[in-house]
Amino acid sequence: MRDHALVISLALALMTCIPSSSEAQSSRPNLDGMWSDPPATVLGTFCADACTDAGIDRLNALLDNPANDARPFDDLQAEAKTREREYLRSSLTDSALKTYPLDPADDPGFLRCEPWGLARQMFARHQLEIHQRGNDRLELRYGEWDARRTVYMDAGKPSGIQPPSAMGHSVGRWEGDTLVIETSGIVANIAWWPTRHSDQLRVIERYSRASDGTLQLTATLADPLTLREPVVVKKIWRWAPEQKITAYKDCERPTEFKRGTRQP
Amino acid sequence: MKLLRAGLFAMPVLLLCAATASSHHSFSPVYDEKRLVTVVGVVTQFRFVNPHAMMFMDVTDDSGKVAKWTVEFAGRLNLSEVGWTADSVKAGERITVTGNPTHTGSPRIFFRRLVRADGTELLPAGPQRLKSIEEERRQRALQRNQQK
Repeated sequence: MRDHALVISLALALMTCIPSSSEAQSSRPNLDGMWSDPPATVLGTFCADACTDAGIDRLNALLDNPANDARPFDDLQAEAKTREREYLRSSLTDSALKTYPLDPADDPGFLRCEPWGLARQMFARHQLEIHQRGNDRLELRYGEWDARRTVYMDAGKPSGIQPPSAMGHSVGRWEGDTLVIETSGIVANIAWWPTRHSDQLRVIERYSRASDGTLQLTATLADPLTLREPVVVKKIWRWAPEQKITAYKDCERPTEFKRGTRQP
Repeated sequence: MKLLRAGLFAMPVLLLCAATASSHHSFSPVYDEKRLVTVVGVVTQFRFVNPHAMMFMDVTDDSGKVAKWTVEFAGRLNLSEVGWTADSVKAGERITVTGNPTHTGSPRIFFRRLVRADGTELLPAGPQRLKSIEEERRQRALQRNQQK
């Protein structure tokens, strides 16, 4: 009964596996190319936006209980997502709780077609295209919003203070098979959870290939003004060379909407 | 399901993709995820674009009055994952489309299912993913029961 949970746990362990520094530089997997929405699996679907260990553990417990075999997956997923929201909510400071959860009708992306900031964009659905540019930088392009960001590898780190921006200033390095990106200089915006984060947000992303060929992200987000403790969020993409990112130019501002539709 | 010409058919539903849509592009402020309506009409335009594909159709009621309906879809990015193209729906086609109505009752729905005149149907990604998930659940339960 525990084997299923073990299999998923082992797969997820790969997401957090960090080789020792002695292994650094020894092998650099090629993450270049097009990635997209995860496979149509239980875990892939649960993490289609993003997910947390709290939610995954609850989902596994529900799936391993024979009493739930006849329940629709939607119900189980919703219950696990509720547990996930509890975890995220418990991580918020009193200040952040005042605006949690953000009313979707107050979302600038919805109201004014404003592209997302990093704390949301990196968990966006659909394509993620990664390209190494020389030895000094990586370019990441997302299907959602057709957003782009540059990651400066150690050698290419720009000197001087960079102005804050929606996607922040990202510096990357390889730790064995894991691409590690540290980002700061992110202007206050909306996080994935969803509520606002401050300009003190720091993000560490760890990307690696899992044994099943998927690309897995473990992101640690720390913000002393809105988070009591760092929050760890995960995401999965599948290799999708057949996909293309298409222009994102037809966002229409809503002409009718209702407030208060998101449940805490 | 009885389809009413130029009419509405409402029922409570729980949909796999409703929750994801609401967290994605603020579905919930505009659409009621607990109700479905079905309309029958003729497509005037299908725009296969981001962030949301859009379809416009003429719906004629019993008195002959034509109403302009708008059908909003997930984005091109999402639809292309399950094989949709810009030619999946053509202007002039007579279709039956089911979706979530707006909170205000305006002639607009969020797409859940489309049936062409020949009976073939087009679906969003959610239901297709669900088939794979249920198979995985069956296999998981089978292994669990064999280990007992």
